[in-house]
Amino acid sequence: MKKFSFLFIALASILAFTLAGCSNDNPSSVSGAKGDSGKDKTNIELWHSLSGDNGKNFEKIVDEFNKQSDDVHVKAVYQGGYTDTITKIRAVGDKEVPALLQASGTNRKYLAESDFVKPMQDFIDDEKFDTSGIEENVLNRYTIDDKLYSMPFSSSNAIMLYNKDMFKEVGLDPESAPATYEDIEVASKKIKDKTGNVGFSFATIGWYFEELLANQGELYLDQDNGFSGKPTKTLVNEEGGQKIFKWLDKMNKVGTFKNYGSNYEDPRAPFLAGQLAMYLDSSANVRTMVDQAPFEVGTAPLPVPKGVEPNGATVGGNSMYITNKLSDEEQQAAWEFIKYTVSPKVQAEWAAATGYFPVTKDANGESALTEAYDKYPQMKTAVEVNSNTPATPEMSGPLSDEGEQFRTIIEAAQEQVYEGTDPKKALDDAAKKIDELLE
Amino acid sequence: MEITNSNEAAAKRLRKKEWKLFGTGMLYLLPAIVFMAVFLFYPIVKTLYFSFFDVTGGGVTERFVGLKNYAKLLSSQEFLQSMKATFLFVLYVVPGEIIISLFLAVIASEKLKGMGFFRTIFSSTLGVSVAAGATVFLFMFHPSLGAINNVLGMVGIGPIEWLTSSNAALISIAITTIWMHIGINFIILLGGLQNIPEEMYESAKIDGAGYYSRLFKITIPLLSPVLFFVLIIAVIGSFQTFGQIDLLTGGGPNNSTNLIVYSIYQQAFSFGHFGFASAQAIVLFVIILIVTILQFRYGERKVHYQ
Amino acid sequence: MKKKIIIYILLIVSAFLLFAPILYAISASFMSPKDIYAGKLFPSEFNFDAYREVMDSIPLLHFLWVSFVMSFMAMVGQLVLSSLSAYAFVFIPFKGRNLIFFLFLSTMLIPWEATIIPNFLTILHLNWLNTYQGLTFPFFALPFGIFLLRQHFMTLPKELWESAQVDGCSRLRFFFKFALPLSKSSLSALAVYGFLTTWNKYLWPLLVTNDDSVRPVQIGLKMLIAQEGSSQWNMVMAAVVMILLPTLLLLFIGIKYIREGLTAGAVKG
Repeated sequence: MKKFSFLFIALASILAFTLAGCSNDNPSSVSGAKGDSGKDKTNIELWHSLSGDNGKNFEKIVDEFNKQSDDVHVKAVYQGGYTDTITKIRAVGDKEVPALLQASGTNRKYLAESDFVKPMQDFIDDEKFDTSGIEENVLNRYTIDDKLYSMPFSSSNAIMLYNKDMFKEVGLDPESAPATYEDIEVASKKIKDKTGNVGFSFATIGWYFEELLANQGELYLDQDNGFSGKPTKTLVNEEGGQKIFKWLDKMNKVGTFKNYGSNYEDPRAPFLAGQLAMYLDSSANVRTMVDQAPFEVGTAPLPVPKGVEPNGATVGGNSMYITNKLSDEEQQAAWEFIKYTVSPKVQAEWAAATGYFPVTKDANGESALTEAYDKYPQMKTAVEVNSNTPATPEMSGPLSDEGEQFRTIIEAAQEQVYEGTDPKKALDDAAKKIDELLE
Repeated sequence: MEITNSNEAAAKRLRKKEWKLFGTGMLYLLPAIVFMAVFLFYPIVKTLYFSFFDVTGGGVTERFVGLKNYAKLLSSQEFLQSMKATFLFVLYVVPGEIIISLFLAVIASEKLKGMGFFRTIFSSTLGVSVAAGATVFLFMFHPSLGAINNVLGMVGIGPIEWLTSSNAALISIAITTIWMHIGINFIILLGGLQNIPEEMYESAKIDGAGYYSRLFKITIPLLSPVLFFVLIIAVIGSFQTFGQIDLLTGGGPNNSTNLIVYSIYQQAFSFGHFGFASAQAIVLFVIILIVTILQFRYGERKVHYQ
Repeated sequence: MKKKIIIYILLIVSAFLLFAPILYAISASFMSPKDIYAGKLFPSEFNFDAYREVMDSIPLLHFLWVSFVMSFMAMVGQLVLSSLSAYAFVFIPFKGRNLIFFLFLSTMLIPWEATIIPNFLTILHLNWLNTYQGLTFPFFALPFGIFLLRQHFMTLPKELWESAQVDGCSRLRFFFKFALPLSKSSLSALAVYGFLTTWNKYLWPLLVTNDDSVRPVQIGLKMLIAQEGSSQWNMVMAAVVMILLPTLLLLFIGIKYIREGLTAGAVKG
């Protein structure tokens, strides 16, 4: 009994008195943290959202940077998904930001307007850094009012993947994928009739709608997608958007389209299992799919409605920001890292390892990448689409700090259509909600 | 005169003693009060405060908007839908988990060989985290790989669109939630059953009461205080469901699983509308408060205290 | 006899149904990706690759250690705070204690997600990011635990306290000599409950830590699930199994205490 009470008192006092002193790291030094290596180096922190294999490959790039740099040590810290990272940033506000922040394009407006981001343009101008080597349409996505706010790092776009073996089986030409909505309908019908499989699908993620709309060369918001002023109205329910919704509704009703869910994951499994012939995916995942599929995988650009010229694809993926709350020395250190990440060698390595396409044009000539493309010719589709994409507001995606919520609204509208709501009504309702947010 | 004096003195002494008792009591409560004040009372007050403002990240209040957030809330279709889904969810989950746990507790309260093993299994879901449990169900509900559809397919049922149809998704979340709550409910109910004195049954047996009449005439009434406790915890727990939604459906399809807590999280963190989210949190708090008070008022009457 | 057989059948069927998700996770963790995509229920051959890959991908053992320290700390804090408060509510007849008790209880109604922002800001201002106190302090005051122990203390015979007073036993001594030792079962129950619920926290640790050295294992699970890329389900299931093992073991060992303890609390309710 005595022992018991002793233990209790001991634990209680440990808690009460010693804990206050047991904080291991002084958190105010997010940036100047005692580095794991190198005392003289400037230590900076980088928050990112790359998990799984991509996370591992990213760590590798950071390690290589640290090895070759004499002055800078970057510590990459995973912060959960893109939303989790932004959550944290929103909560921290301007108090505890890391030197470097990786974020998805949906949040680019919020971050650009926040008071803790230093525009990338400042560093570029100070040093007269030449950005002409970087893909113009990619830069355009992150440029607001002629200022580049963040440096693109990983770029992907949406493309179509299809099962070549299944195409052969039903007598479709495996070398020419359907390019229009109508062609997809016809091909899907054939597939359904001959094999019972689903013809076409994509995950219910608002990004795909943005991509399909951009490919038609249509705007999502007025004021040039928000690039030339504060948007007042959405254009998603104009003709372009209606065509997408009508098409989905038509195919869904005859059973050649199927909704598998709202995660990137969801259509992949049925595709790999040979139950689905064509689907849209992020180009970042092409390599993995080719590796995993027990059949030959083909890739093709996004489809368009008949009679519309394809314009290309909006850039997805992420970019990196430098924050302004830390010392000049730390900001410079962050800039060093940024420059490293857009070097052709790193971009080639990163693209080859992941399936993102390089943001630096010269990376395409690097042997690391050409070898990967030889082995996985399917990866080239995304690069070709990107290099043909003009640098226009239409192709840069909607610019608004409500971008996340727009997607949620569009996703819900798509789901309504899949469950029988009239496509025009669903899209008009969605547009109304988006308009309310713009007010 | 003297009497009043001594009375006064006594009263004084009494008061002094009461103050002393109060002081001692507070001394023991002090640690809990400090922690509660900082991490529970302060946040709820702050949330209330936020609900009258436009709030940006870092908790910076941008401008006072009065009741605008609340007005927006009540006129918002999504919120009304979210309320409806929440109540529907509570209606699925609470009876479901209590009936199943009670059934398990009843069959596990028999004195049979090897019962320890079964009791352990029945309690096991208490040791399953939301993250792990929901991940397993995400895989099981998978439209093409999932075990559930595969097994159902073997007996000619399905495939069911567990997570992609708005009719089924809420039920799928409810199934997951019930499964995760069974462990704790089972443990509490089994304990309650074992505390029912043996003599009650023996006298009933002598009277010739059958199994079912014993179950409904003795077991359930005597168990009612425990059942009531379980009910309160279950209602609160299901109102506050979050993790499984985040992992399984993200509130979809078509907002059918966008329960209030998830909507709070989404508004605050994904969309950055902290003030609007705070107003929702306050409304949710009030709803749970009312439901709990109602349960105490009307539910506890039916509880049979020994 | 017939009744016995029926009960055994019911027990076995229920146990199987209830445990099926965990069994399935274990089964899937040994599958090759090919088995997974074929939608199999059992692996065609036992394959430990998934476990190996998980160990390579994240510092799992370290995460487990952090989870352990974090859960243990929260557990101790909850025990101390809950037992002190419950003791005051039961054995110190001061005025207003019922009011304070119900005020405490009402905090059970607060949705935790709603308090996250203010709590996070508090931790931030205290400079407690990346510390164990930041991870655990918000969970120290556990109304459920106070409730549970209060109900248990109320079952202790009043005479015990009266006779102790006659013997000149101080309040504090009574607390340590009688109240606590006589409540071992409830305390153990609370301990296991507190440990498990803290172990299972996910969102909070993600917010208040920026550093893998103070991150618990639930975040590790998230790190394995790719966002835009493909998740490898066998790997994810292997991670799930490894995360479940410690808590299930603890539960299996502690089940006896937890049952006794929770019972004592709830019955009086």
